[in-house]
Amino acid sequence: MIEPKVDGDLYYFNYSQYINPGLVKEFEKKYDVRVIQSYFDAMEPMLAKLRAGNTYDVIFPTAEYVQRLIQQEQILRIPRDKLENLDNIYSYFDDPWYDPDSAHSVPYSLYITGIGYRADVIDNMTGSWNDLGNEEAAGRIYMLDDYQEALAAGNLLHGFDMNTVVESELEQTKEWLIGLKPLLRGYSVDTITNMSSGNAWIEHLWNGDIINIRYRVDDPDTIQFQKCSEGFPVGSDAFCIPVNAEHPGTALKFIDFMCDPKNAARNVNWNGYPMPNRGQDQTFADLAKDDPNIVVTIDDLEGGDQFANLPQEDRELWTNTFLEVKAS
Amino acid sequence: MGEGAEFDVGPSANRGDLVSTEGWAERVPLARRRPRRRRGRDFDRPVFLRVFFIVFMFFTFAPIVIVALFSFNSTPSLQNFTGFSTQWYDEFFSNVGLRESLVASIEIALVTMVVATVLGTTLAFGLVRARSRLAQSSNVLMLIPLVTPEIVAGTSALLLFAQIGIDLSLLTIMIAHITFSISFVTVIVRARLSALNREVEEAALDLGATRMQTLRLIVLPALWPAIIASALLIFALSFDDFVISFFTTGESPTPLPVQIYSSIRFGVTPTINAIGTSMLVISFLILAVAVALPRLLGRREEENVLIGRETA
Amino acid sequence: MSENRFAHLLLAPAGLWLALLFAVPLGIVVAVSLGTTDPIYQAVYGWHPENYADVFDPLFTPVLLRSVGFALATVVLCLLIGYPIAYYIARFGGRWKTLLIALVVLPFLVNYLVRTYAWVAILSDEGLVNGIVTDAGLSENGVRFLNTPWAVIGGLVYGYLAFMILPLYAALDRMDPALIEAGKDLYGSRWQTFWHVTWPAAFQGVAAGCVLVFLPAVGDFISAQLLGGADTYMVGNLIQQQFLEAANWPFGAALTIVMMAFLLIWLSIYLRSAARASREATA
Repeated sequence: MIEPKVDGDLYYFNYSQYINPGLVKEFEKKYDVRVIQSYFDAMEPMLAKLRAGNTYDVIFPTAEYVQRLIQQEQILRIPRDKLENLDNIYSYFDDPWYDPDSAHSVPYSLYITGIGYRADVIDNMTGSWNDLGNEEAAGRIYMLDDYQEALAAGNLLHGFDMNTVVESELEQTKEWLIGLKPLLRGYSVDTITNMSSGNAWIEHLWNGDIINIRYRVDDPDTIQFQKCSEGFPVGSDAFCIPVNAEHPGTALKFIDFMCDPKNAARNVNWNGYPMPNRGQDQTFADLAKDDPNIVVTIDDLEGGDQFANLPQEDRELWTNTFLEVKAS
Repeated sequence: MGEGAEFDVGPSANRGDLVSTEGWAERVPLARRRPRRRRGRDFDRPVFLRVFFIVFMFFTFAPIVIVALFSFNSTPSLQNFTGFSTQWYDEFFSNVGLRESLVASIEIALVTMVVATVLGTTLAFGLVRARSRLAQSSNVLMLIPLVTPEIVAGTSALLLFAQIGIDLSLLTIMIAHITFSISFVTVIVRARLSALNREVEEAALDLGATRMQTLRLIVLPALWPAIIASALLIFALSFDDFVISFFTTGESPTPLPVQIYSSIRFGVTPTINAIGTSMLVISFLILAVAVALPRLLGRREEENVLIGRETA
Repeated sequence: MSENRFAHLLLAPAGLWLALLFAVPLGIVVAVSLGTTDPIYQAVYGWHPENYADVFDPLFTPVLLRSVGFALATVVLCLLIGYPIAYYIARFGGRWKTLLIALVVLPFLVNYLVRTYAWVAILSDEGLVNGIVTDAGLSENGVRFLNTPWAVIGGLVYGYLAFMILPLYAALDRMDPALIEAGKDLYGSRWQTFWHVTWPAAFQGVAAGCVLVFLPAVGDFISAQLLGGADTYMVGNLIQQQFLEAANWPFGAALTIVMMAFLLIWLSIYLRSAARASREATA
């Protein structure tokens, strides 16, 4: 069993612009280590890099991928009793559906997926996923380069089960996605840069990014977030330590550090995503004061559409469908 | 329409070919009769070509100059140059990760250069002097990497390491680079080698020298410029390489081009400009050495080998 | 020892290296292309030629055709731009030939990524060009240069132009200017001179340049990724995605083999015609 003690530099692998850089620097100073950051665009690329023989100490899979990694015995058990700050985490995560007894993961953020848009140039949003095909913004629309998110949007729009594996339904979703392509500027996970630079007027993105984007533009009120009426993916991700991590001790220290209530609050303030940590409750409430759309609660998690860990064949159906969309 | 007298036939009016029985079309200068195309023809006074050349140089240099210029910008803007500052270079050289990447790139390039040059030179010798089926198939084997697209090179190397179970690291990058550099060395050295005069070698052998001695004392010194040239080329190619490195790199440190790629995809600052400009300076120095060295050694004809004029 | 023996001895190390580290990996690629994957993406060897059928699935045909199309456009543009430059330096460069050709090649010493990034910075919506365009009132929101097929082709041209210019220059430089003068007197017209004198000498250079540009352009993914949009997916992007994002190595391997076979066909055509041309020349 691994011990929370510093055993070298931390190799961190996550989405980019998803953690408060000030906190990272503080961790580096406090424990006299370096944090070497690498970034992935989505879950499949994350797995591919792991598969290709790269070693990381801490990774951030989404819930269904945590379950998959546990099944494949690719992540280590976390010695919860040896960490100090895990008591601050909401009790829902004591035994989540994807990780019995929370033995292998510590939750990081809660998220929902929606559409970000520039209220100053777009005035005809309808509250639907179809807004990703808003002709007024033609050429300035981005979709997430993520097979799960793309198919989910289509499935929800057509009224299917979000995790459907019925081929005829996926065909319809695929047709819709292909139909969007002429209006798209690209598929991108670089949502914050796209919207803050003005390249994107409409962007498929996650709730917390809105906060982050607003920090970077001259007129924050122009950036709005839409929760679509047909439904939306809701989920969480988590800190995990891969089995081939070379510095798991430092990783544990890092997880403990980030779960400190004060640090959680600081992270949320920068990030915009709620963390299931009591320390950040007030901070996030303040952030969401004027914008209830970005709120995600445990109730949302329990009652909402979460991505399922599909069996291999079905997952291949999904990834192939998205590939066909991208290649057409 | 007379026989051409009324037409202003341009700068070549004094050429004898115009007073011929050819039709009207031949007498009108091409610059007049064709729409402005970028297709060069045989002009006597290359006004068009000269202008084209200058415009071309502008467009090829402008982006580089702009990159270099904005690497000295005092603000992170890539649009407005607001003042002179070396902050991005400071950031580059003070950033441990980037420094390590630079060192890694140089390390990889050096090792690749040495190993590939040695292997490539011996291979060149073997291919020129050996007679057998094996030698012929080796020749084919040597040529294929030259025409293998980089992405194929990268993915095949990745598969090799993954299936054998080797973790990705600087070593895997070096191995992949060396594999695809050998052929360059061989082709360059072989060209020089086959042009060598064998008489001196044969004389030495008659006088009792061993083959190794002959190789060391007679052949190698004659091959030296080609060897150095190809070594420097390998260094530059490896230092600049992105695709092969991209597929075979571990996470830390990654070679500089891979860092640049990550930065472009995940967060652009003028530090990239600083990195790019620094790389340009290094590459330029390598080229300068490669060109100057033959002159220093008093061997002008090696220059021709470099430029490709050598027909050996 | 005999010379032959000695030569074989020297041949051995590199030969072994290439056999083990180049031929064997290619063999592994073929083997993986015929296999499948298990749930944690380990390659499972087997006999699954349907991977190759997937490559020719009509869904991916646009990607394959697009790659060839972009590459051909790149070749044509490189030829149109590169030929006058090579000709100018070869014919009119005089003493400065070497310096001029070095100057022409110099920008291409800059890392391909950095050069592509330079164009991203210049042509982006907040870049220099759009700054001028909006200031001049030519367009309100700026022109979208990036994320288009032409941006990708432009990036490819900028990336591989040197590979066209250098062989062209080498071929044209070998040409004796006196031949052109003689041709003018003989044929009387510029076009005829070009066709009968310049072109045959340049042809080898043109063919070499086309091959040197076409082959890497087909497999390129950097331009499409950094300069392209949702509709510029090339086969290189597909392969990269299969290996580094989807971890579907069998399909990626099959794509790789197919692409390489396609390119080798063109290469062998070129080599055969080059061999024939040099035989005729010496005949």
